[in-house]
Amino acid sequence: MPFREVNSKMVEAAVSPGQKLFSQRGAMLAYRGDVSFTPNIQGGQGGVMSMIGRRVAGEATPLMTVEGSGTVMFGHGGHHIQVIQLSGDTLCVEADRLLAFDGTLTQGTLFLGAQGGVMGMVRGQVTGQGLFTTTLKGHGAVAVMAHGGVIELPITPGRPVHVDPQAYVAHHGDVRNKLSTALGWRDMVGRGSGEAFQLELSGSGAVYVQASEEKL
Amino acid sequence: MAVHFAKPLSGSGSSLRTLFRPRVCRYLPSVAMFRLQGSKVLAVDMTGDSVKAKNGSMVAYEGQMAFKKMTGGGEGLRGMVTRRLTGEQMTVMEVRGQGTCYFADRASEINLVRLTGDTLHVEAGNLLCTDGGLRTGTTFTGLRGASQGTGLFTTTVEGTGQVAMMSDGPAVVLRVTPQYPLSVDPGAYIAHQGNLRQDLQSGVTFRTFLGEGGGEAFQIRFEGDGLVYVQPSERTTAGGDL
Repeated sequence: MPFREVNSKMVEAAVSPGQKLFSQRGAMLAYRGDVSFTPNIQGGQGGVMSMIGRRVAGEATPLMTVEGSGTVMFGHGGHHIQVIQLSGDTLCVEADRLLAFDGTLTQGTLFLGAQGGVMGMVRGQVTGQGLFTTTLKGHGAVAVMAHGGVIELPITPGRPVHVDPQAYVAHHGDVRNKLSTALGWRDMVGRGSGEAFQLELSGSGAVYVQASEEKL
Repeated sequence: MAVHFAKPLSGSGSSLRTLFRPRVCRYLPSVAMFRLQGSKVLAVDMTGDSVKAKNGSMVAYEGQMAFKKMTGGGEGLRGMVTRRLTGEQMTVMEVRGQGTCYFADRASEINLVRLTGDTLHVEAGNLLCTDGGLRTGTTFTGLRGASQGTGLFTTTVEGTGQVAMMSDGPAVVLRVTPQYPLSVDPGAYIAHQGNLRQDLQSGVTFRTFLGEGGGEAFQIRFEGDGLVYVQPSERTTAGGDL
Protein backbone atom coordinates (compact mmCIF):
# COMPACT_ATOMS: atom_id res chain seq x y z
CA MET A 1 0.00 0.00 0.00
CA PRO A 2 1.55 3.23 -1.03
CA PHE A 3 2.17 6.23 1.13
CA ARG A 4 0.79 9.52 -0.05
CA GLU A 5 2.75 12.63 0.83
CA VAL A 6 0.39 15.17 2.41
CA ASN A 7 3.18 17.70 2.64
CA SER A 8 6.89 17.41 3.09
CA LYS A 9 6.54 16.45 6.74
CA MET A 10 3.46 14.22 6.76
CA VAL A 11 2.49 11.05 4.96
CA GLU A 12 -0.85 9.35 4.70
CA ALA A 13 -1.23 5.60 4.38
CA ALA A 14 -4.31 3.60 3.60
CA VAL A 15 -4.81 0.40 5.54
CA SER A 16 -7.27 -2.28 4.60
CA PRO A 17 -8.09 -5.58 6.33
CA GLY A 18 -5.44 -8.20 5.88
CA GLN A 19 -2.72 -5.67 5.26
CA LYS A 20 -0.34 -4.75 7.98
CA LEU A 21 1.77 -1.68 8.41
CA PHE A 22 4.61 -1.09 10.82
CA SER A 23 5.36 2.36 12.13
CA GLN A 24 7.50 3.97 14.75
CA ARG A 25 5.65 4.04 18.03
CA GLY A 26 3.98 7.39 18.63
CA ALA A 27 4.35 8.58 15.06
CA MET A 28 0.63 8.50 14.32
CA LEU A 29 -0.82 11.99 13.96
CA ALA A 30 -4.39 11.29 12.95
CA TYR A 31 -6.49 8.52 11.53
CA ARG A 32 -9.80 7.96 9.84
CA GLY A 33 -11.83 4.79 10.03
CA ASP A 34 -11.43 1.76 12.23
CA VAL A 35 -7.73 1.35 12.83
CA SER A 36 -5.98 -0.33 15.73
CA PHE A 37 -2.47 0.27 16.94
CA THR A 38 -0.77 -2.49 18.83
CA PRO A 39 2.70 -2.10 20.26
CA ASN A 40 5.05 -4.57 18.72
CA ILE A 41 7.35 -5.90 21.38
CA GLN A 42 9.38 -7.79 18.87
CA GLY A 43 10.20 -4.54 17.11
CA GLY A 44 9.18 -5.80 13.71
CA GLN A 45 8.92 -9.10 11.97
CA GLY A 46 10.51 -12.43 12.11
CA GLY A 47 9.70 -13.87 15.50
CA VAL A 48 11.63 -14.00 18.72
CA MET A 49 15.01 -14.77 17.22
CA SER A 50 14.93 -11.68 15.07
CA MET A 51 13.90 -9.69 18.09
CA ILE A 52 16.91 -10.90 20.03
CA GLY A 53 19.06 -10.15 17.00
CA ARG A 54 17.80 -6.60 16.88
CA ARG A 55 18.23 -6.08 20.60
CA VAL A 56 21.79 -7.28 20.43
CA ALA A 57 22.48 -5.16 17.39
CA GLY A 58 21.04 -2.05 18.98
CA GLU A 59 18.74 -1.69 16.01
CA ALA A 60 15.57 -2.20 18.03
CA THR A 61 13.26 0.79 17.80
CA PRO A 62 9.84 0.71 19.36
CA LEU A 63 7.49 -0.18 16.55
CA MET A 64 3.76 -0.64 16.44
CA THR A 65 1.56 -2.62 14.14
CA VAL A 66 -1.19 -0.74 12.37
CA GLU A 67 -4.17 -2.80 11.26
CA GLY A 68 -7.78 -2.23 10.32
CA SER A 69 -9.43 -0.25 7.58
CA GLY A 70 -9.03 3.46 7.06
CA THR A 71 -6.30 6.00 6.53
CA VAL A 72 -3.56 6.96 8.95
CA MET A 73 -1.33 10.00 8.91
CA PHE A 74 2.22 9.79 10.17
CA GLY A 75 4.81 12.39 11.07
CA HIS A 76 7.48 12.77 13.69
CA GLY A 77 9.44 15.61 15.19
CA GLY A 78 8.89 17.93 12.25
CA HIS A 79 11.37 15.95 10.21
CA HIS A 80 11.16 15.77 6.47
CA ILE A 81 9.81 12.52 5.14
CA GLN A 82 10.94 10.73 2.05
CA VAL A 83 8.90 7.91 0.61
CA ILE A 84 10.98 5.24 -1.07
CA GLN A 85 9.42 2.61 -3.31
CA LEU A 86 11.09 -0.74 -3.27
CA SER A 87 10.63 -3.20 -6.07
CA GLY A 88 12.48 -6.27 -5.02
CA ASP A 89 15.69 -4.59 -3.94
CA THR A 90 17.11 -3.98 -0.50
CA LEU A 91 17.08 -0.70 1.38
CA CYS A 92 19.68 -0.05 4.04
CA VAL A 93 18.62 2.49 6.63
CA GLU A 94 19.22 3.28 10.27
CA ALA A 95 16.39 1.95 12.44
CA ASP A 96 15.70 5.30 14.10
CA ARG A 97 15.13 6.93 10.71
CA LEU A 98 12.30 4.52 9.87
CA LEU A 99 8.93 6.18 10.20
CA ALA A 100 6.65 3.57 8.68
CA PHE A 101 6.89 0.72 6.24
CA ASP A 102 4.77 -1.82 4.49
CA GLY A 103 4.08 -5.06 6.32
CA THR A 104 5.01 -7.01 3.23
CA LEU A 105 8.64 -5.98 3.43
CA THR A 106 11.10 -8.31 5.06
CA GLN A 107 13.08 -6.74 7.81
CA GLY A 108 16.57 -7.73 8.77
CA THR A 109 19.74 -6.49 10.35
CA LEU A 110 23.01 -6.25 8.55
CA PHE A 111 26.36 -6.50 10.26
CA LEU A 112 28.56 -3.83 8.75
CA GLY A 113 31.59 -5.99 9.32
CA ALA A 114 30.12 -8.30 6.71
CA GLN A 115 30.69 -5.57 4.15
CA GLY A 116 34.37 -4.98 4.07
CA GLY A 117 35.48 -6.66 7.28
CA VAL A 118 37.25 -4.47 9.77
CA MET A 119 36.93 -1.41 7.54
CA GLY A 120 33.18 -1.92 7.57
CA MET A 121 33.18 -1.82 11.34
CA VAL A 122 35.35 1.28 11.36
CA ARG A 123 32.96 2.84 8.88
CA GLY A 124 30.01 2.14 11.16
CA GLN A 125 31.76 3.82 14.05
CA VAL A 126 32.83 6.85 12.07
CA THR A 127 29.46 7.40 10.49
CA GLY A 128 27.63 6.92 13.75
CA GLN A 129 25.72 4.02 12.28
CA GLY A 130 27.09 1.65 14.82
CA LEU A 131 28.01 -1.86 13.87
CA PHE A 132 24.63 -2.79 12.50
CA THR A 133 22.07 -1.34 10.18
CA THR A 134 18.53 -2.28 9.29
CA THR A 135 17.62 -3.72 5.91
CA LEU A 136 14.23 -3.87 4.28
CA LYS A 137 13.62 -6.10 1.33
CA GLY A 138 10.73 -6.82 -0.97
CA HIS A 139 8.01 -4.94 -2.79
CA GLY A 140 6.45 -1.99 -1.02
CA ALA A 141 6.98 1.50 0.28
CA VAL A 142 9.04 2.88 3.14
CA ALA A 143 8.76 6.31 4.76
CA VAL A 144 12.13 7.52 5.98
CA MET A 145 12.83 10.61 8.10
CA ALA A 146 15.60 13.11 7.53
CA HIS A 147 16.61 16.48 8.89
CA GLY A 148 16.00 19.02 6.16
CA GLY A 149 15.03 17.89 2.70
CA VAL A 150 16.34 14.86 0.90
CA ILE A 151 17.89 14.55 -2.52
CA GLU A 152 18.21 11.30 -4.35
CA LEU A 153 21.44 10.68 -6.18
CA PRO A 154 21.52 7.80 -8.63
CA ILE A 155 24.54 5.52 -8.54
CA THR A 156 25.58 3.93 -11.80
CA PRO A 157 28.49 1.60 -12.45
CA GLY A 158 31.64 3.58 -13.07
CA ARG A 159 30.23 6.70 -11.44
CA PRO A 160 30.60 6.33 -7.71
CA VAL A 161 29.01 8.88 -5.42
CA HIS A 162 30.79 10.20 -2.35
CA VAL A 163 28.63 11.20 0.59
CA ASP A 164 29.38 12.96 3.86
CA PRO A 165 28.68 10.29 6.50
CA GLN A 166 26.65 12.75 8.57
CA ALA A 167 24.40 13.63 5.64
CA TYR A 168 23.86 10.03 4.55
CA VAL A 169 20.28 8.82 5.03
CA ALA A 170 19.75 5.53 3.22
CA HIS A 171 20.61 3.65 0.08
CA HIS A 172 19.03 0.96 -2.00
CA GLY A 173 19.99 -1.28 -4.83
CA ASP A 174 23.10 -3.29 -5.43
CA VAL A 175 25.48 -0.87 -3.80
CA ARG A 176 28.83 -1.47 -2.17
CA ASN A 177 29.96 1.16 0.23
CA LYS A 178 33.30 1.79 1.73
CA LEU A 179 34.82 4.49 3.81
CA SER A 180 37.26 6.58 1.89
CA THR A 181 39.60 8.74 3.85
CA ALA A 182 41.24 11.85 2.62
CA LEU A 183 43.34 12.30 5.72
CA GLY A 184 46.37 14.41 5.17
CA TRP A 185 48.95 16.13 7.30
CA ARG A 186 46.56 19.08 7.46
CA ASP A 187 44.04 17.07 9.45
CA MET A 188 46.75 16.00 11.86
CA VAL A 189 47.63 19.58 12.71
CA GLY A 190 44.01 20.60 13.07
CA ARG A 191 43.75 22.36 9.75
CA GLY A 192 41.47 19.89 8.06
CA SER A 193 38.74 20.86 5.66
CA GLY A 194 36.15 18.97 7.68
CA GLU A 195 35.75 16.46 4.89
CA ALA A 196 38.24 13.85 6.00
CA PHE A 197 35.87 10.90 5.83
CA GLN A 198 33.54 10.11 3.02
CA LEU A 199 31.35 7.19 2.17
CA GLU A 200 32.08 5.97 -1.30
CA LEU A 201 29.08 4.22 -2.82
CA SER A 202 29.52 2.29 -6.04
CA GLY A 203 27.43 -0.17 -7.97
CA SER A 204 23.94 0.52 -9.19
CA GLY A 205 21.12 1.98 -7.16
CA ALA A 206 20.46 5.25 -5.40
CA VAL A 207 21.57 7.04 -2.27
CA TYR A 208 19.49 9.52 -0.27
CA VAL A 209 21.28 12.54 1.14
CA GLN A 210 19.82 15.07 3.56
CA ALA A 211 20.41 18.81 3.37
CA SER A 212 21.96 18.92 6.77
CA GLU A 213 24.76 17.38 8.74
CA GLU A 214 22.72 16.85 11.86
CA LYS A 215 21.63 13.49 13.12
CA LEU A 216 18.02 12.92 13.98
CA MET B 1 20.73 33.51 -14.16
CA ALA B 2 21.14 29.89 -14.95
CA VAL B 3 19.30 28.64 -11.93
CA HIS B 4 16.91 25.79 -12.28
CA PHE B 5 14.42 25.26 -9.56
CA ALA B 6 14.20 21.63 -10.16
CA LYS B 7 11.48 20.20 -8.05
CA PRO B 8 10.28 20.10 -4.50
CA LEU B 9 13.02 18.76 -2.32
CA SER B 10 11.05 15.95 -0.85
CA GLY B 11 9.87 14.41 -4.07
CA SER B 12 11.62 11.44 -5.53
CA GLY B 13 13.37 11.81 -8.80
CA SER B 14 15.64 9.23 -10.21
CA SER B 15 15.96 11.05 -13.50
CA LEU B 16 17.48 14.19 -12.03
CA ARG B 17 20.71 13.88 -13.89
CA THR B 18 19.12 13.35 -17.21
CA LEU B 19 16.79 16.20 -16.44
CA PHE B 20 19.53 18.63 -15.69
CA ARG B 21 22.44 17.99 -17.90
CA PRO B 22 21.12 19.09 -21.28
CA ARG B 23 19.60 22.28 -19.96
CA VAL B 24 22.61 23.72 -18.18
CA CYS B 25 23.97 26.29 -20.55
CA ARG B 26 27.72 26.55 -20.56
CA TYR B 27 28.72 29.95 -21.79
CA LEU B 28 31.77 30.01 -19.59
CA PRO B 29 33.18 26.52 -19.65
CA SER B 30 35.84 27.12 -17.02
CA VAL B 31 33.54 28.64 -14.42
CA ALA B 32 31.80 26.56 -11.80
CA MET B 33 28.07 26.28 -12.38
CA PHE B 34 25.86 26.87 -9.34
CA ARG B 35 22.35 25.51 -9.27
CA LEU B 36 19.82 24.72 -6.60
CA GLN B 37 18.60 21.20 -6.03
CA GLY B 38 15.41 21.95 -4.22
CA SER B 39 15.82 24.95 -1.95
CA LYS B 40 18.28 23.58 0.59
CA VAL B 41 20.94 21.86 -1.44
CA LEU B 42 23.40 23.64 -3.69
CA ALA B 43 24.84 21.67 -6.57
CA VAL B 44 28.00 22.96 -8.20
CA ASP B 45 29.19 21.56 -11.52
CA MET B 46 32.91 21.89 -11.82
CA THR B 47 35.30 21.22 -14.65
CA GLY B 48 38.70 21.46 -13.09
CA ASP B 49 38.10 24.84 -11.45
CA SER B 50 37.62 25.65 -7.80
CA VAL B 51 35.08 27.16 -5.42
CA LYS B 52 35.37 28.34 -1.85
CA ALA B 53 32.86 26.85 0.56
CA LYS B 54 32.15 26.80 4.25
CA ASN B 55 34.20 24.17 6.02
CA GLY B 56 32.47 20.82 6.23
CA SER B 57 29.42 21.82 4.20
CA MET B 58 29.85 19.16 1.51
CA VAL B 59 27.13 16.51 1.68
CA ALA B 60 27.89 14.49 -1.43
CA TYR B 61 29.88 14.55 -4.64
CA GLU B 62 30.28 12.71 -7.90
CA GLY B 63 33.54 12.62 -9.78
CA GLN B 64 36.91 13.65 -8.45
CA MET B 65 37.11 16.30 -5.75
CA ALA B 66 39.84 17.57 -3.49
CA PHE B 67 39.10 19.49 -0.31
CA LYS B 68 41.65 21.80 1.21
CA LYS B 69 41.20 24.12 4.11
CA MET B 70 42.16 27.67 3.33
CA THR B 71 43.92 29.08 6.32
CA GLY B 72 42.41 32.32 7.48
CA GLY B 73 39.75 32.51 4.81
CA GLY B 74 42.20 32.40 1.95
CA GLU B 75 43.19 36.02 1.91
CA GLY B 76 46.78 35.69 2.91
CA LEU B 77 48.37 36.61 6.18
CA ARG B 78 46.98 40.10 6.30
CA GLY B 79 43.45 38.86 5.65
CA MET B 80 43.83 36.26 8.34
CA VAL B 81 44.98 38.76 10.94
CA THR B 82 42.19 41.13 9.95
CA ARG B 83 39.61 38.39 10.31
CA ARG B 84 40.91 37.36 13.70
CA LEU B 85 40.85 40.93 14.91
CA THR B 86 37.43 41.75 13.52
CA GLY B 87 35.75 38.59 14.65
CA GLU B 88 34.57 37.88 11.10
CA GLN B 89 36.32 34.57 11.12
CA MET B 90 35.22 32.01 8.66
CA THR B 91 36.61 28.60 8.07
CA VAL B 92 36.69 28.12 4.37
CA MET B 93 37.77 25.21 2.26
CA GLU B 94 38.76 25.17 -1.34
CA VAL B 95 37.02 22.55 -3.41
CA ARG B 96 38.65 21.72 -6.68
CA GLY B 97 37.82 18.99 -9.11
CA GLN B 98 35.75 17.58 -11.85
CA GLY B 99 32.13 16.58 -11.44
CA THR B 100 29.26 17.72 -9.28
CA CYS B 101 29.58 18.66 -5.65
CA TYR B 102 26.58 19.10 -3.34
CA PHE B 103 26.63 21.53 -0.43
CA ALA B 104 24.14 22.06 2.39
CA ASP B 105 24.31 23.29 5.93
CA ARG B 106 21.86 22.59 8.75
CA ALA B 107 18.91 22.58 6.37
CA SER B 108 19.04 26.33 5.81
CA GLU B 109 17.56 27.80 2.68
CA ILE B 110 20.04 28.77 -0.02
CA ASN B 111 19.95 31.93 -2.12
CA LEU B 112 22.00 32.41 -5.24
CA VAL B 113 23.35 35.82 -6.14
CA ARG B 114 25.23 36.64 -9.31
CA LEU B 115 27.79 39.40 -9.01
CA THR B 116 28.98 41.30 -12.02
CA GLY B 117 31.77 43.43 -10.73
CA ASP B 118 29.81 44.80 -7.78
CA THR B 119 30.16 44.15 -4.07
CA LEU B 120 27.99 42.03 -1.82
CA HIS B 121 28.02 42.66 1.91
CA VAL B 122 27.11 39.55 3.85
CA GLU B 123 27.63 38.16 7.31
CA ALA B 124 30.42 35.59 7.39
CA GLY B 125 28.08 33.09 9.02
CA ASN B 126 25.61 33.32 6.16
CA LEU B 127 28.10 32.67 3.41
CA LEU B 128 27.98 29.12 2.07
CA CYS B 129 29.89 29.05 -1.17
CA THR B 130 31.54 31.48 -3.58
CA ASP B 131 33.08 31.20 -6.99
CA GLY B 132 36.82 30.71 -6.88
CA GLY B 133 37.41 33.97 -8.70
CA LEU B 134 35.63 36.17 -6.18
CA ARG B 135 37.56 38.20 -3.64
CA THR B 136 36.47 38.36 -0.04
CA GLY B 137 37.35 40.99 2.51
CA THR B 138 36.12 42.67 5.66
CA THR B 139 34.60 46.11 6.18
CA PHE B 140 33.62 48.14 9.16
CA THR B 141 29.88 48.48 9.62
CA GLY B 142 29.74 50.81 12.56
CA LEU B 143 26.99 50.70 15.10
CA ARG B 144 24.77 48.50 13.00
CA GLY B 145 26.92 45.48 13.61
CA ALA B 146 26.74 45.95 17.33
CA SER B 147 22.97 46.09 17.25
CA GLN B 148 22.81 43.01 15.05
CA GLY B 149 24.72 40.95 17.46
CA THR B 150 27.17 40.03 14.73
CA GLY B 151 30.04 42.31 15.61
CA LEU B 152 31.26 45.56 14.21
CA PHE B 153 32.46 44.13 10.93
CA THR B 154 30.99 42.37 7.97
CA THR B 155 32.31 40.36 5.06
CA THR B 156 32.40 41.70 1.53
CA VAL B 157 32.49 39.64 -1.63
CA GLU B 158 33.44 41.30 -4.89
CA GLY B 159 34.21 40.37 -8.44
CA THR B 160 32.32 38.48 -11.10
CA GLY B 161 30.70 35.16 -10.36
CA GLN B 162 28.11 33.45 -8.21
CA VAL B 163 27.63 33.45 -4.47
CA ALA B 164 25.44 31.13 -2.40
CA MET B 165 24.13 32.58 0.84
CA MET B 166 22.23 30.81 3.59
CA SER B 167 19.16 32.11 5.34
CA ASP B 168 16.86 30.81 8.02
CA GLY B 169 13.73 30.43 5.91
CA PRO B 170 13.43 31.64 2.32
CA ALA B 171 14.87 35.14 1.96
CA VAL B 172 13.11 38.01 0.26
CA VAL B 173 14.96 40.50 -1.91
CA LEU B 174 13.89 44.09 -1.37
CA ARG B 175 14.86 46.82 -3.81
CA VAL B 176 15.92 50.18 -2.46
CA THR B 177 15.69 53.26 -4.68
CA PRO B 178 16.47 56.89 -3.83
CA GLN B 179 12.73 57.56 -3.49
CA TYR B 180 12.07 54.52 -1.36
CA PRO B 181 14.47 53.98 1.48
CA LEU B 182 14.09 50.80 3.49
CA SER B 183 14.27 50.00 7.19
CA VAL B 184 15.17 46.47 8.21
CA ASP B 185 15.23 44.66 11.53
CA PRO B 186 18.90 44.02 12.30
CA GLY B 187 18.14 40.42 13.24
CA ALA B 188 16.51 39.65 9.92
CA TYR B 189 19.11 41.32 7.70
CA ILE B 190 21.41 38.93 5.87
CA ALA B 191 23.06 40.78 3.00
CA HIS B 192 22.95 43.75 0.68
CA GLN B 193 24.50 44.78 -2.59
CA GLY B 194 24.65 47.93 -4.65
CA ASN B 195 25.30 51.54 -3.81
CA LEU B 196 23.66 51.77 -0.41
CA ARG B 197 24.17 53.97 2.58
CA GLN B 198 23.14 52.51 5.89
CA ASP B 199 22.55 53.98 9.26
CA LEU B 200 21.10 52.81 12.50
CA GLN B 201 17.72 54.10 13.50
CA SER B 202 16.61 53.85 17.03
CA GLY B 203 13.08 53.93 18.26
CA VAL B 204 14.07 54.00 21.89
CA THR B 205 11.69 56.13 23.92
CA PHE B 206 11.02 56.51 27.60
CA ARG B 207 8.61 53.60 27.24
CA THR B 208 11.49 51.31 26.38
CA PHE B 209 13.11 52.12 29.67
CA LEU B 210 9.89 51.27 31.44
CA GLY B 211 9.96 47.86 29.83
CA GLU B 212 7.09 48.66 27.53
CA GLY B 213 9.03 48.71 24.27
CA GLY B 214 7.56 47.23 21.14
CA GLY B 215 10.49 44.90 20.58
CA GLU B 216 11.63 46.95 17.60
CA ALA B 217 14.03 49.35 19.23
CA PHE B 218 16.56 49.41 16.40
CA GLN B 219 16.35 49.30 12.64
CA ILE B 220 18.90 49.63 9.91
CA ARG B 221 17.89 52.21 7.35
CA PHE B 222 19.14 51.78 3.80
CA GLU B 223 19.22 54.67 1.39
CA GLY B 224 20.46 54.81 -2.17
CA ASP B 225 20.15 52.25 -4.92
CA GLY B 226 20.52 48.52 -4.41
CA LEU B 227 19.14 45.27 -3.07
CA VAL B 228 18.68 44.07 0.49
CA TYR B 229 18.20 40.40 1.44
CA VAL B 230 15.98 39.76 4.43
CA GLN B 231 15.22 36.42 6.08
CA PRO B 232 11.85 35.54 7.64
CA SER B 233 13.43 34.91 11.01
CA GLU B 234 15.27 37.00 13.56
CA ARG B 235 18.57 36.35 15.20
CA THR B 236 18.77 37.25 18.84
CA THR B 237 20.08 40.79 18.88
CA ALA B 238 20.89 43.31 21.53
CA GLY B 239 17.99 45.44 20.39
CA GLY B 240 15.57 42.57 20.08
CA ASP B 241 14.58 42.51 23.72
CA LEU B 242 13.95 46.21 24.02
